[in-house]
Amino acid sequence: MIVDKNIKKILSDDEVRKLVMARLSVLSKDTMISLGSEGSFTRDELIKSVENRDNVGEKLAEIQLEWLRSFKERMIV
Amino acid sequence: MKMIVTRPQYDITTRYLSVWAAEVINFAKEKKVEVIDLLKDKANKKDFVGRVKKLQPDVIFLNGHGNDNCVTGHDEEKLVEAGDNHNILYGAITYALSCNSGKVLGPKVAENNEAAYIGYEDKFIFVADSNYSTRPQDDPIAKPFMEASNQVMISLLKGHCAEEASEKSKNKFKEHFMKLSSSQADPDSLQAAQCLWWNMRNQVCLGNLNADLKV
Repeated sequence: MIVDKNIKKILSDDEVRKLVMARLSVLSKDTMISLGSEGSFTRDELIKSVENRDNVGEKLAEIQLEWLRSFKERMIV
Repeated sequence: MKMIVTRPQYDITTRYLSVWAAEVINFAKEKKVEVIDLLKDKANKKDFVGRVKKLQPDVIFLNGHGNDNCVTGHDEEKLVEAGDNHNILYGAITYALSCNSGKVLGPKVAENNEAAYIGYEDKFIFVADSNYSTRPQDDPIAKPFMEASNQVMISLLKGHCAEEASEKSKNKFKEHFMKLSSSQADPDSLQAAQCLWWNMRNQVCLGNLNADLKV
């Protein structure tokens, strides 16, 4: 489950997933991301994971949310 | 001074970590540190525990997969686990380049007054170029991740204390993610920046923050 009260006011879980998929879709096809013991994944595999809402997809969504929140924190500072 | 390094190598992630750890090993050897390199299937529990107990190393560099409670070696064999044998890390400075072990294993080790534990509270993530999977040392996309991580060990070997070594590593992560986040950055760079930032914020330094190596 994606939890971030502040961002959730603006973005629903589905909207966050769409945002993550949009970002992933513009990566080069040779790019891969290693997520520890979950494995290493290509762009297309990552997009599928976000669509399927599996562990990998949910982790990517969490990272995206935390990244967005960090900008908000930096703006406040 | 003695350093034990574990370098399992059985999938893409462990191959990258293992190859890039060689940079730290070379630096340690230049500093005349005795390095015990547990490479590939040598990174097993029997060899690791035996060497740690016998040699009582000053510093331990663990590379591999992990979870909240443990760090694994070759073929995911648990090398050190909270509640099982975490006390073998007492008295040393440990850097665990693995996922999540800063959550439970790290604090457990840090209960010892002399031990310091640097690790990650969540997943250690890196971005790479699949064209370089057979020669990770040349991968320009993975380089900022591995350089920033290695900074922990390089700083320790230069004589900085655990807290400073972690800070220097975090600064390296920051330096790289700032560089990659520029407005003209391509999508791959922006993704890498996000993952560098993630690792930076999840790195923790626990226990004896003033612990250092007498170099």
